[in-house]
Amino acid sequence: MDKLATRLREDAADIDAQVSAELDHRIRVSLHNVSPERPKAVPRSSRPFSLWWASSLTGAAVALVVIALLNLDRTGPVSEPVAVNAVQQIVIPDLNLNVEAAMLTSPLAEELANLQADFRRAEMAVREDVEIDF
Amino acid sequence: MSDELKLIDAAKGGSVEAFTELIQRYRERLFRFLMTRCGSYADAEDALQDTFINAYRYIATYNPQWRFSTWLYRIAIRNAARLRPANIAELGELRDEESDPLTYCISQSERDNLWRSAKRLLSDEVFAAMWLRYVEDMSVKDIAAVLERSSSWTKVNLLRGRRALEAELNNEAHKTGSESYG
Repeated sequence: MDKLATRLREDAADIDAQVSAELDHRIRVSLHNVSPERPKAVPRSSRPFSLWWASSLTGAAVALVVIALLNLDRTGPVSEPVAVNAVQQIVIPDLNLNVEAAMLTSPLAEELANLQADFRRAEMAVREDVEIDF
Repeated sequence: MSDELKLIDAAKGGSVEAFTELIQRYRERLFRFLMTRCGSYADAEDALQDTFINAYRYIATYNPQWRFSTWLYRIAIRNAARLRPANIAELGELRDEESDPLTYCISQSERDNLWRSAKRLLSDEVFAAMWLRYVEDMSVKDIAAVLERSSSWTKVNLLRGRRALEAELNNEAHKTGSESYG
């Protein structure tokens, strides 16, 4: 035994733990006023064991019948799967692009003229840079 | 069947005499432990009495796969814990070292009792684990059962407790050494 264990044991023995006669009497008297509790019995099921077997078997039989019925409905001809094109054609709606010009108010007409001028300048700049005829 | 098991069986059947004989073997050991756990001597006495009453009342639930002392200690720790919080709240700051039952019950000697240091340094649970290990010689498994902790928690905390007390022991040795050399 190591030093610490020995010391702890010795020091515990140094603690005076004499139970007094008065405490001893108190404990004895208290014990006479108490009686051990009986362990609570686990309540047994009132249903007989065979009932569980019967209900389990009935349940299994019903499940089998349901499965059989569901599978009987599927005995008809199996339809061919519809072929689906991997790439579907994109349908472009026929839009009527002949729209009437909107009646612009003066500031908006001015803005439009400016935008058109900007567009023309940009077009000219691109032509000069790339030298491509649109 | 061992003598102890015979007494337990008789107690289960309602024999107070058998139970009284059974607890004779444990009462001093338990009382000593409870004095380290409780705030006062009176509390330790009450905790001991409650422990035996509860043990007798619920003896039918005792499982012989465990040592009887393990079961008793488990009840004792619960009873001590039940007494403790109320007392602390009641006494508040008035509680001081003088109310500690160990102050009265440790025989005067030149050296300080290491269990007093343990009470100061360790938490209640680690203190209990150390007590059960070194005074009661309980296995880690039994200590874990008493404290309702895992075996790994018990091992780790026994090691921590041990380290703390070894450091205290070394400090004490240094002090004694420096005093004797002036």
